[in-house]
Amino acid sequence: MTSLTIAVAKGRLQTEAVELLSKAGFDFSNESLSSRRLAVDDESGSYRLIFVKPADVPVYVEHGIADCGIVGRDVLLESRADLLQPLTLDIGACRIVVAARNGASLDRFGMLRVATKYPRIAAKHFGARGVAVDLITLSGSVELAPALGLSDCIIDLVETGRTLQENGLSIVEVIDESSARLVVNRASYQLKAKIVSGLIKALNETLQRNQR
Amino acid sequence: MDHAQDARATAKLTHNRIQNDLVDMSETLSRIPAGMRYYGGREAQVRRAVEATVISIFAGWSYEEIATPTIDYYSLFEHGMGHSQAHRAFRFSDTDGRMLAIRPDVTSLVARAAATIFAERPRPLRLCYVAPVFRREPQSHAEWRRESNQIGCELIGSNNGVSDMELLAIVYEVLQRLGLNRGCSITLNDVEVFNGIAEQLKLDSAARDEMRELVDTRNTADLERFLAPYAPAEACRDFARLTQLSGKRESLNDARRLLRNARSQAGLDRLEGLWSVIESQQLSDCFEIDLGDVSRLDYYTGLTFRIYVEGAGVRIGSGGRYDGLTASFGKAEPAVGFVFELDALTELLIERAGSILAAESAPDATRVTGRDLSALFTVAREKRALGERVILDFSGVAP
Repeated sequence: MTSLTIAVAKGRLQTEAVELLSKAGFDFSNESLSSRRLAVDDESGSYRLIFVKPADVPVYVEHGIADCGIVGRDVLLESRADLLQPLTLDIGACRIVVAARNGASLDRFGMLRVATKYPRIAAKHFGARGVAVDLITLSGSVELAPALGLSDCIIDLVETGRTLQENGLSIVEVIDESSARLVVNRASYQLKAKIVSGLIKALNETLQRNQR
Repeated sequence: MDHAQDARATAKLTHNRIQNDLVDMSETLSRIPAGMRYYGGREAQVRRAVEATVISIFAGWSYEEIATPTIDYYSLFEHGMGHSQAHRAFRFSDTDGRMLAIRPDVTSLVARAAATIFAERPRPLRLCYVAPVFRREPQSHAEWRRESNQIGCELIGSNNGVSDMELLAIVYEVLQRLGLNRGCSITLNDVEVFNGIAEQLKLDSAARDEMRELVDTRNTADLERFLAPYAPAEACRDFARLTQLSGKRESLNDARRLLRNARSQAGLDRLEGLWSVIESQQLSDCFEIDLGDVSRLDYYTGLTFRIYVEGAGVRIGSGGRYDGLTASFGKAEPAVGFVFELDALTELLIERAGSILAAESAPDATRVTGRDLSALFTVAREKRALGERVILDFSGVAP
């Protein structure tokens, strides 16, 4: 019987997250991981991984459908889900930045047009500076927006900076660092205290080993 | 195309337009606003049964039921709950321009009643209620309801700290009677444990809020980093362990070693006293110390607790001591209370097949028929007088 369900963000983080779990002693067969199955049980049958879109990880965990999740901090900041975040994982490191066309100046009065996948982070960032913004929420290829004149700048996640460079953008400001987090449902943290703290401990020890 | 055909086509088009208009109209009429719902059938039965069971337990502990206004002044709730919670309420203005709110919380209303209409009553006051509360903005993604029914108790004017166990005993009895006491966890904390640390570190209110958030989300690594400017490294590590201090009595002993300030120690003393009573009642399986639960510091002044049950992804109830609240209504006195979320309890018990509440089914009904109405109602009312369940069947009545 499954005793703990862990939601893992598909895409960028997925491989690293599964690798980290394997190093921490959780045994998921390569066969099941390489298939297109969205739910995979470990060899002992007590841990289950489910693979969902990053933005859906907080949703599954907050409802308690998944007890834990592995997801980027960017997603957590945007979702404002009520979750516990007991562990920072040193995978999926990247930055949340404001970027604009090379040489463009953002120092002006009036309205700043901001294209982003992160409207809440954007509203909070510019709100704290008292800058009025027109938030243009996109679901991808945000880097195109300034070049085509849809926006003055973007707020996006940057890993290496290459995509920005190739689209004629440069970083104006780093808002925050973002790496993956282990998140836990509040009820599961209490009701499955033993198995959850076992997971935290195993992952923590693996992280310490990696750092050495 | 001849005229007749043309006319028919036009008529059909007009007809379709009207149909579409009707569809639009019925869409707006059939649609239910987000966070609202109906109850019917077994769900309604179970909900009523849960309510009756819980209220009877409250009555068994001598809690008197109080019904509160559905609409009251917004400022009352702002005083009672703090702005951060009260602003979620549905608000509108009264004829004199003052802001009204549809009750987002019952405790504020009970506290005001205690300070006003019940001011002369002997203490302690034991009051209970069941009432829907409304929020324009839901509390979180998982707690999606904008109308939710709260069923709770308030114990007002009794000794600070000593009476806390009375409420925990009631909470436990509710879980037990509903068959939920296996696989439940009632987590306990005292907000003074956290407040003592914040005071010791001389945090201003913004920093205190940030630290509260980091502790509440158990974010140990960021908490340690956040504390670095305020204390030596070793002390930071100790304070950061607050996020991990949960368990039974041993977690209190650990906390005592790490947190030396008098205010935190006093909080730990109260928790330890409470824990001893819990142990003496052999209830420690269901209880858990959790010093990381600091979700509502603006509201609670001592004990806080949250109630979790297997099968529910969010807490099904919570409570705590709020000695500061009644003072804002002009009569400062100690108070402690809790609420259960009636809708969450109902959902949980519906899913548990064979729950104790399912057994109570209604008696068989007698079908009453007749050729004339007068005879039919004579029979029906006779049976009702005997307490039988009847179902009227008019199919045999002569036109």
